[in-house]
Amino acid sequence: MLQKKICMLGGFAVGKTSLVRRFVQSIFSETYLTTVGVKIDKKSVALPDKTVDLILWDLAGEDDIGSFRVSYVRGATGLVLVVDGTRAATLAVALTLRERAEAEFGAMPFVLLFNKSDLADRWAISDSEINELRQLGWQIYLTSALSGEHVDDAFRQLASMVTK
Amino acid sequence: MTSIVDPISLPQRAASNDTEIDREALASLLVEIARNVDPDYRARFDGVPTADPRMETLRQLLVGREISELSRVAHLLDEPEQLAAAVGGVLPDAAARASHAQLGEALAPAVERAVQRSIQKNPRTLTDILYPVFLPAIRKSIGEKIDQTFQSLNESLRHIFTWRGLKWRFEAWRTGASFSEVVLKHSLVYRVEHVFLINRNSGLLITHVTAENATSEDPQLISSMLSAIQDFVKDSFNEKEQSGLDTIRFGELRLWSEVGPFATLVAVIRGNPPEELHEIIRDVLLRIHDESSQALEQFDGDSSQLAGVETQLQTCVELKQEESNQGFPWLVVAAVLLVLIPAGGWFLLSWQSGQRWQAYVSRLGTQPGIIVAEQKMRDGQFYIAGLRDPLAADPQSLLSGTEVDPARVHSRWQFYQSLEPEFVLKRLTASLTPPDSVRLSIVNDRIVAEGEATDTWINRARAAAQQLSAGGPVFDISKVRDVSPEAREAERWQAYVSRLETQPGIIVAEQKVRDGQFYIAGLRDPLAADPQSLLSGTQVDPARVHSQWQFYQSLEPEFVLKRLTASLTPPKSVRLSIVNDRIVAEGEAPDTWIDRARAAAQQLSAGGPAFDISKVRDVSPEARAAERWQAYVSRLGSQPGIIVAEQKMRDGQFYIAGLRDPLAADPQALLSGTGVDLARVHSQWQFYQSLDPKFVVKRLTASLTPPKSVRLSIVEDRIVAEGEAPDTWIDRARAAARQLSAGGPEFDISKVRDVSPEARAAEHWQHYVSRLEAQPGIIVAQQTARGGHFYISGLRDPLAADPQALLSGTKVDPARVHSQWQFYQSLDPKFVVKRLTASLTPPKSVQLSIVQDRIVVVGEAPAAWINRARAAAQQLSADGVVLDVSQLRELSLAELNNLREAIQATDILFYSGKVVPGPEQTPVLDRLADQLKEFAQNARKSGVTARFMLTGHSDATGRETSNASISAARAETVRALLNKRGVAPELLLVRGAGTFEPAVPENSRTGSSANRRVSVTVNLD
Repeated sequence: MLQKKICMLGGFAVGKTSLVRRFVQSIFSETYLTTVGVKIDKKSVALPDKTVDLILWDLAGEDDIGSFRVSYVRGATGLVLVVDGTRAATLAVALTLRERAEAEFGAMPFVLLFNKSDLADRWAISDSEINELRQLGWQIYLTSALSGEHVDDAFRQLASMVTK
Repeated sequence: MTSIVDPISLPQRAASNDTEIDREALASLLVEIARNVDPDYRARFDGVPTADPRMETLRQLLVGREISELSRVAHLLDEPEQLAAAVGGVLPDAAARASHAQLGEALAPAVERAVQRSIQKNPRTLTDILYPVFLPAIRKSIGEKIDQTFQSLNESLRHIFTWRGLKWRFEAWRTGASFSEVVLKHSLVYRVEHVFLINRNSGLLITHVTAENATSEDPQLISSMLSAIQDFVKDSFNEKEQSGLDTIRFGELRLWSEVGPFATLVAVIRGNPPEELHEIIRDVLLRIHDESSQALEQFDGDSSQLAGVETQLQTCVELKQEESNQGFPWLVVAAVLLVLIPAGGWFLLSWQSGQRWQAYVSRLGTQPGIIVAEQKMRDGQFYIAGLRDPLAADPQSLLSGTEVDPARVHSRWQFYQSLEPEFVLKRLTASLTPPDSVRLSIVNDRIVAEGEATDTWINRARAAAQQLSAGGPVFDISKVRDVSPEAREAERWQAYVSRLETQPGIIVAEQKVRDGQFYIAGLRDPLAADPQSLLSGTQVDPARVHSQWQFYQSLEPEFVLKRLTASLTPPKSVRLSIVNDRIVAEGEAPDTWIDRARAAAQQLSAGGPAFDISKVRDVSPEARAAERWQAYVSRLGSQPGIIVAEQKMRDGQFYIAGLRDPLAADPQALLSGTGVDLARVHSQWQFYQSLDPKFVVKRLTASLTPPKSVRLSIVEDRIVAEGEAPDTWIDRARAAARQLSAGGPEFDISKVRDVSPEARAAEHWQHYVSRLEAQPGIIVAQQTARGGHFYISGLRDPLAADPQALLSGTKVDPARVHSQWQFYQSLDPKFVVKRLTASLTPPKSVQLSIVQDRIVVVGEAPAAWINRARAAAQQLSADGVVLDVSQLRELSLAELNNLREAIQATDILFYSGKVVPGPEQTPVLDRLADQLKEFAQNARKSGVTARFMLTGHSDATGRETSNASISAARAETVRALLNKRGVAPELLLVRGAGTFEPAVPENSRTGSSANRRVSVTVNLD
């Protein structure tokens, strides 16, 4: 059994929860998010040589960075940063959250998801911006919780990154 | 080497600061080197010179710098201060570089000694240092210990007095374990269902072990969530402690977690685990850390490295305790002890008196004929119960001299018959009364009867012996000789003799029995019974009786008087006296006595004195009546509800007065059959209300008319009403009870349950339902009252009364009535009649009536209507309803037609210019009025209304306008005249035709009397 703790970080209403809802195994209701501030799901990813269980800690989205419970990130081996592609401000939030987590627990692999790719008409992030980020070597995916586009790819990518 | 020197001696010279170098060795070394260079040189030196300055020079040249360095180092080492400074500079680094194990080993004794020393010097210092570390640990430990103590105390208390508790004590003794361990082992029911080993850092599951049959959701998710919750709590309450969440409890489930340096062990326990389990879990966690500390520390989510810990965890889930435990009522035991202790004290105090009592009891026990069944002492009182033979010694008298206070002895003795021979003998003697010829004695516990006795006695004795044989001593009567035949005969003889002796007029002078013969002699009165005849039935053999009787009747009046007085027993109202040798009876007596006296007088006339009874008045009729009256009065007196206040007889009349309850039997009616002449009874009864409960019940029943659900009964002179009733009834009953309370029996209505609201509603409802049911054309199929709502369903004829409308006035709340009516056509004749009336609209001459469920149509009707009625009858016959149209007659207007013609032919004639007909028209008017009335009547019978149009006409003279008004006036006049003659005015219509409808054509100048008229036309509608 190979498991990895992964934290999903992102601003308020970026769609983290709905992003994973269709792709993960879960026993806890979403009320945990509002009560405990975290909801734990599991995503098994089959890599060519092994299977890894990603234990996803879906942290309650907060735009107020101050109330971010950084202690939940302890022991995580990877991050899923989720940005709402229709709200440019959420990119900054996600990056800030990552900075906070890394400041506390050191650098760790991550994937950056620009979610809500299905809402093309309201898209607020320019391609050049995304390309700049890709230049940094970041793994970036345009995802849609609605269609499920690239979600699996993102998790697979992260799984291979954290098991290297 | 420029000069020849002794190479050996050179190094032997001491340098100024050289004290420790082994010069000889150095020299030898150098020589050795030289020899190796030049072999000749070796031969020349056989010793080493003691000193050579060149050596020093050489040394200075070769190792001058090292020497100075060495001397500095030596100096460093020699000077403790400098050495300490030097080591201090490198010590932290050295310690860090040292092998941990060796360093720990090397340091341990020193550290231990240092700590020891510190504590000896001032323990406070170390305590202060360790305080932040120890305090939480101590606090936790103490907490757990207290929990343990409480729990084990509870358990011990619970088990200390039970049988199981004793068993466990034995087990503890046997196994050498402490009692509390054994208690714990048995009493706490719990089961460890899951054990999670969770990486402390990441919250990832390392291993999860489940007990058999236990299920849970994905353990990976659970373990992460558990650590999330731990973090949540820690963050939320700013708890800095490292221990984390100790216990989570949810109903029967407990999550106990033990936090180790790298991993947290969470046990999910169902039930009631002992506190010791914490230690067990902690031990397991410690062992896991010991064995796999490195793997745990480096855990990166790959649990395959830690496969071995699963067996450790397995020991945890095998922990369970499943023996059922049951609470023992140790409080009860304590209570019993509380009672027993004073009781014991009391027993000590009363022991002495108890001893005395026991002495008395055992003394009683040894008494023949006394059996002590039960005896006890309580509160210093002595109770004894048992059996005693009436012939045995008195237990009370045996008390004297025993020092037992008789006042404190409560005895209850039941008599019984002791079967000890002496008692049996006593009893037999008393009950059998053996004749003198029989002697009873006790021989070897047997009772032996000896002697002679009659068979009757022997039989009784035998019966007694048989009874005794049940369990008593043997009663031997075999030695009693049966002397019955003679004895019996003698007995019979004696009976006969005593019978004779009681006979008036017979005097037995002498009697004896000899050789089976009986001899008797005496006097007998001729009036006395015949001794011989008295023999019959005595079983004395007459042939063996030898009697000798002499007549002895004294005929002296005084003797006769005596005899008469004796034989006649005259009533008090009669006085017997002797007047001139005659016996005279005077006074009043009933006819029966007079008859007897007359018979005696006749007997006497044979040779005795005269007995004159002529002066005895016969009072029997009154006496008899009085007797009957008394019977009647006493009968009345015994009647409940009748109180006889006064009654008397005077001059053959009976007077009675008293009180009677209206509900009591009628005194008059009670007279019948008593033989008392009703006409002579004068009663005066005043009504009163008897307060005898029976009457009160009757009255209450009559006045209150209790519903069927209420039962009135008399219980110990109280009248009790039981059952259910509405409050109106209860109120009335209560009022009645208050009225009764004045002096009558109590009327208890407390057992009547008030069912009024429902009952009233239900009553109203039932009233409504029965009202509906009584309605023709309404069929109630189903009705229920439920939950304060009323449901009714059924069929109703559209012509029937509206059930809703019927609700009004029933006090049933319409809002609570749920009706479901289906329309139907009632075949009830009444409805059929209604429907027929509506559909056929029969003429008035036709009557529809219901005769024995058949609808009969009677009367006259037009042919067309009759046909429609027949068609309807046919249709109805299919439904089983008989519509009898056979009695319909076709309406014929033939008779009327004649009359009509006659009427229409009549004209009332007028003189020119007149609006009132002349006197000669009076008979015409009279006849016309009669004809109109007849016609109207006949038409009405046929169901049609006749109306008569009176049309006034005028002749053509004069102006047309005045002609028109005159013609109308004539018609009005005739109407008035006809009305006067009894024709209903509403049947008469008037119009003026002026000159437009002349009867005859006329010349306008002369006019025609025939046209000055009022004509009549008949209209039927």
